[in-house]
Amino acid sequence: MQVIKVDPNKCTGCHQCELWCGTEIASVAKELYPAINEEPQPVARVYVEGKKLALQCRHCVEAPCLDACPNGTMRRDPKTELVYVHEPTCIACWMCVMVCPFGIINPSPTYKVAIKCDRCRNMGYPICAEVCPTDAITVEERKDYRKVF
Amino acid sequence: MEFIQRKTADRAVSHFLLKAADQEITLTWDRFESQLPECGFCESGLSCRDCLQGPCISHPFRDQSKLGVCGKDKDTLAVQTLMRLVLKGTMSCLDQLNDFADSVKTGEIEPADKDRAEQTLKAIQNLLENGDSEVVKEFPTVLVDNWKTTGILPQGIARDIFKASQRLEGGICEMDETLLWTFKTSLLGCMADRLQRNLKTAVFGNTVVSELEVNLGVLQKDVPTILFYGYISPVIKQKIAAAAQEKNVSVMGVCTDPLLPPYRFYPVTTAASQEIPLMTGAVDLIVTGHQFVNPSLADVAKDWKVALAPADGLEEKGDLDAFARQIVEQAANTFEIRQNIPKDVPMVKEAAVMGFSAADVDVKKIAAALESGKIKGIAILAGSNNVKYTQDETLATVAKEFLSNDILCISDGEASVSLAKYRLLDPTRQKKNCSEGLADLLVSLGDNVPAVIDWSMTDFLIVLSGAVKKSLSDYPICAYFPEASRTVEVTKAMWTVAMGVSTYFWPCLPVTGSPKTQAALTGFCKQRFGASLHVITQKIDARTKAGYFLKTIEAPAVLSGKEWEQS
Repeated sequence: MQVIKVDPNKCTGCHQCELWCGTEIASVAKELYPAINEEPQPVARVYVEGKKLALQCRHCVEAPCLDACPNGTMRRDPKTELVYVHEPTCIACWMCVMVCPFGIINPSPTYKVAIKCDRCRNMGYPICAEVCPTDAITVEERKDYRKVF
Repeated sequence: MEFIQRKTADRAVSHFLLKAADQEITLTWDRFESQLPECGFCESGLSCRDCLQGPCISHPFRDQSKLGVCGKDKDTLAVQTLMRLVLKGTMSCLDQLNDFADSVKTGEIEPADKDRAEQTLKAIQNLLENGDSEVVKEFPTVLVDNWKTTGILPQGIARDIFKASQRLEGGICEMDETLLWTFKTSLLGCMADRLQRNLKTAVFGNTVVSELEVNLGVLQKDVPTILFYGYISPVIKQKIAAAAQEKNVSVMGVCTDPLLPPYRFYPVTTAASQEIPLMTGAVDLIVTGHQFVNPSLADVAKDWKVALAPADGLEEKGDLDAFARQIVEQAANTFEIRQNIPKDVPMVKEAAVMGFSAADVDVKKIAAALESGKIKGIAILAGSNNVKYTQDETLATVAKEFLSNDILCISDGEASVSLAKYRLLDPTRQKKNCSEGLADLLVSLGDNVPAVIDWSMTDFLIVLSGAVKKSLSDYPICAYFPEASRTVEVTKAMWTVAMGVSTYFWPCLPVTGSPKTQAALTGFCKQRFGASLHVITQKIDARTKAGYFLKTIEAPAVLSGKEWEQS
């Protein structure tokens, strides 16, 4: 399984990942200039926090959001193993928001659905990794630590 | 993210792009691609690093981080980004003027018309001190009165520039007011540009219409060649040209004024491809200024063993004649040393006629044609290249669209060189591109008038406003900057709007993060000056860009053939 790895030593906190994630994933226009002025405001799926670290969904092996979701809205793609929200069935109970240990899942400010990073599963490569100017965000094969230990 | 599809429309440059790729030489286009994606906050004017508490951004996709540390919101950030560009552009006009005036004052050159030179120097001094300068009287009274009422008539270089720059430091100021300060600053640039032109005429005599050749094919293999790069003091240029003539050394230019009576410096290429002439092997020495010159030239010059001579520095040059002789000798010596370097000069050069002014063209005929509807409008084409677009393509396409729709095209500065490369400044090709009404007008203007007329845009607008009955904003006149890249071009666009001429500018100015600023550049400016500065964010092709003006004059719509590109 390929996951996003963030190197805090390389992250400069430039927010480019947020900007382009908001444009590419969350906006209707999919282009920067119109996206900036779009209503409702697009919401990025990646968050640059405090001391310069980009946070995305870790797609946990034992994902608590999957267990907490009462109606199977939170799903795992059987092929890629990526965790995503199946928006049409979301009942906005926010259980996933509460249980996420990284605070990655958030309620949409506009629609009654949970929003989270799906590692751009419908694109070839995650946009945040593509635009990161310092290569702090990279895509790597996840090591199976159960085998390592 | 934008990716370049085609780097240049210039076939001479294309030849060297392949060569550069083979030899692993990095050019402007390669560096641009390695920069992608460029910072989205900076591109949309939502960033600020005016103090050391930042850098700050106004985040368009978060509820937090909307304000900078000091509290600047997106509107303030965007308008201040514009102000910063205009300040820098104005500084480059003022620096050129200051440089030239200094050389004349210190007696380094004997003016052709001493009285006029003294008057111009006095006008420069007055503009510096209180703004009460003779140059203001050259502008139409209606325009000056409007500037006075709006509060943007310059009141002295020192005062206005200092005050305007402090708008970036902080304070509580409405966006509209900052925008007006931006216009005020740009008018200083306009007046400096005008004064520089006046001083050039006083010192070197009238610039006459001259026949030139343009593009890489003008380089000569068998004589030492000096290239002027960027803005260089006309006095230094004149001294070097005089010394070079004695020693049979050829002198040409890139991004520099090609006409300096009695000398002509053939333009070798345009801004985006400024490294290419060195790769021909036919350049021995380059004299570089600071404005419009890529620092990358130093590396390319080293690779091709081209000598470098900065035109100015911290130390005074002393005797300029001796400096000029030294440059010419160095070029001759370098030519001997570089005999083993293979020379590859493409046979691509075009004839062009440049340097028109009111003395060469009867502007009353243009005014009459405009008022009678013989021509549908006037378009001013300005600006240099921008690596974000295919080099010269937009400029040439827009010009051809206008010419075929009875729109008179005036080109300014670097745009003239770009257009000359596509034979649009060649009088023998005049009829090929122009529609009937326009062709008739051009024939009536004289024998040697090309399809696109190279004429300083400010000079043209001032002369034209004296010949028409109403103010310029009442006529279908526009300015296009389709491939702009330098700050001085932003300044020019601003002063063109202040003169009542609507302006279309690409790439879109870094104000797109603030819809309010963007709207003010159209609505507010229209209300104050009768003209707008259009910031167009859609990705459109060159013909559709031409369509924006054609639509306003109800010419047949230009179809690019791509439905999604029609706005």
